[in-house]
Amino acid sequence: MENIVIKEVPDSPYYPAVNFNAEKGICEIKGESYMEETFKFYSPLLDWIVRYTKEVKKPLAFNFKLTYFNTNSSRLILDILDILKKYQDNNGAVTVVWYYDPEDPDMIDEIEDFEMETGIKIHLVEFE
Amino acid sequence: MNINNTNGNKIISFHGPLTISLLSFISNYLKLIISTDQVLMSRLYKIFVELTQNVSYYSAEVKEVEKGINSGIGWFILYEHQDYFIFTTGNLIKKKDATKLIKNCTEINSLKEEDLRILKRKTRTQAKIRDIGAHIGLIQTGLLSSNTLDFKISEIDSKHSYFTLSVKLDK
Repeated sequence: MENIVIKEVPDSPYYPAVNFNAEKGICEIKGESYMEETFKFYSPLLDWIVRYTKEVKKPLAFNFKLTYFNTNSSRLILDILDILKKYQDNNGAVTVVWYYDPEDPDMIDEIEDFEMETGIKIHLVEFE
Repeated sequence: MNINNTNGNKIISFHGPLTISLLSFISNYLKLIISTDQVLMSRLYKIFVELTQNVSYYSAEVKEVEKGINSGIGWFILYEHQDYFIFTTGNLIKKKDATKLIKNCTEINSLKEEDLRILKRKTRTQAKIRDIGAHIGLIQTGLLSSNTLDFKISEIDSKHSYFTLSVKLDK
């Protein structure tokens, strides 16, 4: 299964960097997310996660390092977490970690909301 | 709050097509020119992006900025006062959307923080994957500002109204 690598581009900071690695079973989304065509950006990422859970079926560590996402992006992040929860409910080994800035109290609320909506445990780690 | 409040220091204003490149540039520019604490700046930044993107996506007046790519036309103004910021946006809307917009804003203004969070979760879960709608952006703005949304809708003609939204962010 191929990996997905999208690097950060300074001219378009509204796209996050993405690194989905099937061999290592590690996914990372980093930066900010407030692009116009949200579904177009996230759709291949959702497809990749579904394929991983059906074909690779190995442990998956998902690391969010998003410092900002708009409400449109939050809908697609919710979809990612729903897929991960479904995998977990079917005995897939999933760890979700959210790296956050302690100076941003609103992010904690966002993460709590995601946990309540999906039922998946999100581990909080402060940015160093 | 007076929606036409022009006292205070005008930080920035713009009227035209609100493209993602423009919004991204200005939102990051604001981080450079406004001296305030990190939490407040973060909230101002998030409110700026949500509300200007609402104008960009849902304005009834659009312009083709690149071949096949339309951007909504509207305006925004940011004022800084001694104890607060006021951010205002304005754009044309379809008259048929006015009633729903009034209902949504009125509901948001009637709710306390925890109930707003419940409404946000419910709205997000029920939203279609491709179009989450303007409602959740307004809910998020209410949560971030901890103040009511000061909105005004004026009839323009048989098909259009004008929507103005002003948000106060206390320092």
